[in-house]
Amino acid sequence: MIWLTWRQFRPQAVTSLAVLAAFAILLAATGPHLASLYATSGLAGCQASCNHAASSFLGRVSGFYPLVFMLGIAGVILAPAVIGVFWGAPLIAREFETGTFRLAWTQSITRARWIASKLALPGLAAIAVTEGLSLMYGWWAAPIGQAARVASGSFPLGMGPFGLLAFDAHGVVPIGYAAFGFALGVTAGVLIRRALPAMALTLAIFAAVQVAMPLAIRPALFPPAHTTQSLAANFSGQQSMGPGGTFGFILDYLDGEPGAWIFSSGAVNAAGQPVSVMPAACVTAASSADGPNQCLASHGIGIGVSYLPTSRYWPLQWTETGIYLALALVLAGFSYWRLGRRLP
Amino acid sequence: MTAVIETKGLGKRYRRPWALADCTLSVPAGHVVGLVGPNGAGKSTLLNLAAGLLAPTTGTIEVLGGPAPANPAQLARLGFLAQDAPVYAALSVADHLKLGAHLNPGWDQSLARDRINQLDLDPGQKAGTLSGGQRAQLALTLALGKRPALLILDEPVASLDPLARREFLQDLMEAVAEQDLSVVLSSHLIADLERVCDYLIVLVGSRVRVAGPVEELLATHHLLTGPRRDPATLPDGQQVISGSHTDVQSTLLVRTSSPVLDPAWTVSEVGLEDMVLAYMRQAAGPGRRRTSGNHLEVQK
Repeated sequence: MIWLTWRQFRPQAVTSLAVLAAFAILLAATGPHLASLYATSGLAGCQASCNHAASSFLGRVSGFYPLVFMLGIAGVILAPAVIGVFWGAPLIAREFETGTFRLAWTQSITRARWIASKLALPGLAAIAVTEGLSLMYGWWAAPIGQAARVASGSFPLGMGPFGLLAFDAHGVVPIGYAAFGFALGVTAGVLIRRALPAMALTLAIFAAVQVAMPLAIRPALFPPAHTTQSLAANFSGQQSMGPGGTFGFILDYLDGEPGAWIFSSGAVNAAGQPVSVMPAACVTAASSADGPNQCLASHGIGIGVSYLPTSRYWPLQWTETGIYLALALVLAGFSYWRLGRRLP
Repeated sequence: MTAVIETKGLGKRYRRPWALADCTLSVPAGHVVGLVGPNGAGKSTLLNLAAGLLAPTTGTIEVLGGPAPANPAQLARLGFLAQDAPVYAALSVADHLKLGAHLNPGWDQSLARDRINQLDLDPGQKAGTLSGGQRAQLALTLALGKRPALLILDEPVASLDPLARREFLQDLMEAVAEQDLSVVLSSHLIADLERVCDYLIVLVGSRVRVAGPVEELLATHHLLTGPRRDPATLPDGQQVISGSHTDVQSTLLVRTSSPVLDPAWTVSEVGLEDMVLAYMRQAAGPGRRRTSGNHLEVQK
């Protein structure tokens, strides 16, 4: 049975190898120069106050490189969707559409073996291709990620490790996405039995899940840590002041925790309660050249931050991967069960 | 007589309407059995049930002495050619033979290769570019290469042009002569069945209307023409299948195992097609005399 699955899968396998090869050549051609830029930027040995070095490195990564950067991230993120739509959805649906399932199911093998091999071979290939893209891209983009970790926010798209797109494109989560996308496509095909509608449904559901995950589910997976930053010298963020002494702070990154995922930040008093109106004593200071911060600090006001430290990066990666793999297994199991029953 | 397919009260319902309901029949071994009936009679459903592609909603079906095939050993004894002869369009003819070899322990590669050579098929050609007749031949090769004990063909020639149809059936007959196998093929084209079948089952509305060896059926059906007469006055042994009447004359198709002795009748032979059509019409129209139960009588 593996032979037939392989023979049917061969065109897709060839295509994906070609894509992988093209991607590898592109990255191999541009990667060394990027690495040398990083080496000469002084970021590698930087111990403290590295923001400047990071910003200057990122400033020199220009022209062609941001394009490759975007292309790579898009490739890794879109691969699971493409796989689900073009490998998963037609896999079984096409057999129903053309009637070939009647040919396959009357050979001397069990239907269970037929389904199992159809799920296993392209499914593992989906994982391998996506994770392969991610690893290659991860190697290429490591200097940029390193710099972004230090100077989070100074590069487009907030390229910290928890950045919306960066998190999806690195680590082990692409494995989960690929397995889920593929299994989702197969299941849609099994239920709808027509390739085109199954492809459309796969795309719609996969996109919805991929939007819901980072926005609603991922932030809730681990409880955030809380800290209060003093309004001291290194304050980096945005400060707003309004009429009647109202004010607020938004922190871009956390000192001592570069790359942390900041869920929320705002002014708090010494007891940790949020405040939005500054003490009357500081209102006059606010109009002075030095600004109100010294005054606010003397009144015990700081910036309360709830965040996910970078130490949570890998636990979060594995948890999310686990969720997607579990979903993929449930879908694959459902398809297996559904086809195992005798159907027209 | 041993049966290759035996059903009892077999029924299959997809959503609302029954595709096959309360079907009891027996397909004898060692024959080329034609399963004939109008569209919607349940032929295709019955054959898909026999191939294990469907599970019955009610009743039982036995194939080659066991339940409908579900495991590899049973599947190996069954060759199935589905309606429209599905093949993998992107795979070549040679790939299909490899498929057969990989998926069937009893695969006869030399038989399959010889057939492909005889048919003048290019092994490298993609199955998607084959003509309808060639595709059916390829699918038949796959089914025969398994060396099955029972070959089931679901409307194998329905979509073929007359020439391809004749070639296919001739080829099928040769294969049957060479291999010792039972064949069941469905069709609504009686002329085709007449050429290849030696046993006939007429299925209308899930019911067997008549079944038996073709020669016996032809020998026991007669067309009677004579002065107008009420069919109810015929002797007990004569069963009226269909009748038409003018003011002065009656024409009756009757079934009887004994000779018709009444000198009032002009007795003539009836063709298979006319006979089958008479049974179909009988089933479609209001009950004239007895409309079912024939299958019990035939199993002698």
